[in-house]
Amino acid sequence: MLKPILLVEDNPRDLELTLLALERSQLANEVIVVRDGADALDYLLRRNAYAERDDGNPAVMLLDLKLPKVDGLEVLKVVRDTAELRSIPIVMLTSSREGPDLRRAYELGVNAYVVKPVEFKEFVTAISDLGMFWAVLNEPPPGSLRLNRRGSN
Amino acid sequence: MTTDPTSLDQAIERCAQEPIQVPGSIQPQGFLLVLDETDLRVLQASENAERWLGVPARALAGQAFAELVGEGFDLRQQLANLPDDEIFPFHIGDARLHQGAPWPAALRVLAHRHDQVLILEFEPHRDSPGNAGKDDYYPLVRAFVSTLHQATRIDELLQQSVRQIKRITGFGRVKAYRFDSEGTGTVLAEDADPGYPSYLGLCFPASDIPRQARELYRINRIRVIEDANYRPSPLVPAANPRTGKALDMSFAALRSVSPVHLQYMRNMGTLASMSLSIVVNDRLWGLVSCHHEQPRPVDFKTRTACELLANVLSLQIEAIESHDSTRQLLDLRQRIVRMLAAMADHDSVSDGLLALPEVMLQFAGATGAAIISAERCDLIGATPPVAQVNALAHWLAQRGGDAVFHTDNVRRDVDELPELARHAAGVLAVAISQIHSHYLLWFRPEQAHTVNWAGRPEKTVAPQGNLNPRHSFERWQEEVRGFSAPWDPLIIEGVQELRGAVLGIVLRKAEEMAQLAGELRRSNKELEAFSYSVSHDLRAPLRHIAGYSELLGEIEGAKLSERGKRFLGHIEDAAQFAGTLVDNLLNFSQMGRSALRLTDVDLNTLIDAIRTELAPDYAGRAVTWEIAELPKVIADPAFINMVLHNLIANAIKYTRGRDPARIEIAAVRHRHEIEFLVRDNGVGFDMAYVDKLFGVFQRLHRMEEFEGTGIGLASVRRIIERHDGRVWAEGRIDQGASFHFTLPLHPTSA
Repeated sequence: MLKPILLVEDNPRDLELTLLALERSQLANEVIVVRDGADALDYLLRRNAYAERDDGNPAVMLLDLKLPKVDGLEVLKVVRDTAELRSIPIVMLTSSREGPDLRRAYELGVNAYVVKPVEFKEFVTAISDLGMFWAVLNEPPPGSLRLNRRGSN
Repeated sequence: MTTDPTSLDQAIERCAQEPIQVPGSIQPQGFLLVLDETDLRVLQASENAERWLGVPARALAGQAFAELVGEGFDLRQQLANLPDDEIFPFHIGDARLHQGAPWPAALRVLAHRHDQVLILEFEPHRDSPGNAGKDDYYPLVRAFVSTLHQATRIDELLQQSVRQIKRITGFGRVKAYRFDSEGTGTVLAEDADPGYPSYLGLCFPASDIPRQARELYRINRIRVIEDANYRPSPLVPAANPRTGKALDMSFAALRSVSPVHLQYMRNMGTLASMSLSIVVNDRLWGLVSCHHEQPRPVDFKTRTACELLANVLSLQIEAIESHDSTRQLLDLRQRIVRMLAAMADHDSVSDGLLALPEVMLQFAGATGAAIISAERCDLIGATPPVAQVNALAHWLAQRGGDAVFHTDNVRRDVDELPELARHAAGVLAVAISQIHSHYLLWFRPEQAHTVNWAGRPEKTVAPQGNLNPRHSFERWQEEVRGFSAPWDPLIIEGVQELRGAVLGIVLRKAEEMAQLAGELRRSNKELEAFSYSVSHDLRAPLRHIAGYSELLGEIEGAKLSERGKRFLGHIEDAAQFAGTLVDNLLNFSQMGRSALRLTDVDLNTLIDAIRTELAPDYAGRAVTWEIAELPKVIADPAFINMVLHNLIANAIKYTRGRDPARIEIAAVRHRHEIEFLVRDNGVGFDMAYVDKLFGVFQRLHRMEEFEGTGIGLASVRRIIERHDGRVWAEGRIDQGASFHFTLPLHPTSA
């Protein structure tokens, strides 16, 4: 069983587009969607609504930077500060490369940082690559045939 | 006798040391008694008192004054008339001497207090020859004073005065002269009887009137010598018992004068003289000098009238001069104000002054001027060549000292720069920065002129080392070379004032700059915040438009009409373009803020990479590349890459349709910088819009012709300027364009 991808995104349109992109990348992983930072932490720490979920960490967390309640950087910080969560690969998704966020995210130990491209095709490519790298390459399932996908695109 | 200059100077100095205020004797046309004012007894008497009183002078000491005069004269009572603050001899009344004195007639008694004693001078009533009966000078003086008002020029005023004084005194020649700052006197007005030599226009050297005599003229405004051949009458005893020294006779009417002066008078052929001082603003301005060939008495009343005239004359001159200087000051101020206004209006002091070249010259009454700042030397009017002016500025900087330097003889005062004197004789300079060698300079040409001296101005020295006054007062001409017109003290004051104001303006400009820098920082911060929110908030909806329109096309495209597909295509393009616009704008704003990382950059390698990268853009087109071997530069490689990328991409874009397109990249090495150029044979542009080329969002072509966001060249400029370089472009419509930028050979900042 592949570990799931945890997608934290509050904007419904970005959510839809990201899910479409993930769908097109034909990753086999289950995608678990939460809509804000508080839910993300609940999921990760198996609290409240997620107290009963199966244990195990996601293969990768795609984390939007700007989130209601608890923002992406705070989630990142909690993950890195919590021993059992520390190893989860985290990819920051954001609208811009601007500002101090980038620096702060790297300080907090983010694994990658992706500025969402405007063009949908590029967006699909970026999401696929990310998913591929962190969900598949990092822990390659046996017999995966999708490693060459990038070259075929 | 010798004319050796050193011994002459020594002799002149010795002459100036002669204690003329304590001659120890008097002129014998009257006699003098020195009294103790408390007991009114005699302390000293002039030797000739015996002739009048019939008592030997040495026998007078200790005598009560009352015993020497007739009973009708009560000195104590008469002294009540003597004002306490009067320092000059005051006519306290007339007295007859005691019974049995050889002089029976009444004598004028003039009294003044000085040197801790009461000094009484006695003189007989006399009518000046040819002046009989004119006892009342009031109408003459009144007429004179009323005519003075009509004279507006100083020479007219002096001419009227000498004529009037000659009428009153009957002297054979009356002349008025004025001293310049060196003490040389020039005769400006003269009225003389036939037979008297004329001195009008001639100069008398400063040494004719030694220093201490000048001072005495200043405080005591009249001096009479009735007969140059007089035998001085000594005071007995010689010392003033109150001070133990010779009596100070600075104010005494009968004071005996220097034998050198008497010799001078005899050499001039005049045996009687009267000098009236013209004192303006407490300085000895000039003299009215009266001469007569024969000895000539001048009665007290005449002297009083002349003194009054001289005082009125002095006041009138003072009024005219102060009127003139006020007017001059006003002109000066107006010019200063105009220059300051121009400086405030322009970016720099130099530009401001250069805008008003005439005012700059008129201000100092100069024929040439120079403005020297750190990087410039601007010349106005007739000046020495730039090299000389710069050398002078250097000399001034080395010299240090006062902020203002002036000379009317460059050859004499700036002898390190002998060349300079060939171009100017007068220099006025003012430093206008407290830190840098910034100067304003004015130049005046040489004014060669002739001075007409009254006799060769060298006095000769007698074997004893005393002065021998010259015998000839014949006109003697001297050519004066190397001098400009002297700089008026008012102008020098004006220059000081200008300096203060310029320093103020420079300071204010610096403050404005600091304020501007502060505002700039603030607005940069705001811009940063703005671009942050733009990137965030604007990019998301653009992404959504692009994403959904593409998905729509994919999923529902088959159902759309051709028109609908076309519209959808436009929506996608527009969203994409808007996205690029936002990205470019963000890049551009980043460029201004991120630090440059300077390192050696190989431009040829960069260009090769850029050509490869852009290959898809010109695939299928014939492009002739002419890329020279470019020097290595020190720059930020990422930024310089962006510059070249933009310029090359533009060249490719705007040569679209040329067959073949020609793109040339070359470098020209200059003294302090390297110039690079990217030239193409594309559509070019109208030079009328060249200023818009490098502005943000400025485009010279319609979108259908050439795509673009209008940020590329703005980025180029920003990057190059951050490297302390310059950018510019040249082009003609349909004749291609060339874009140039420079990079400094030795970058100063990162």
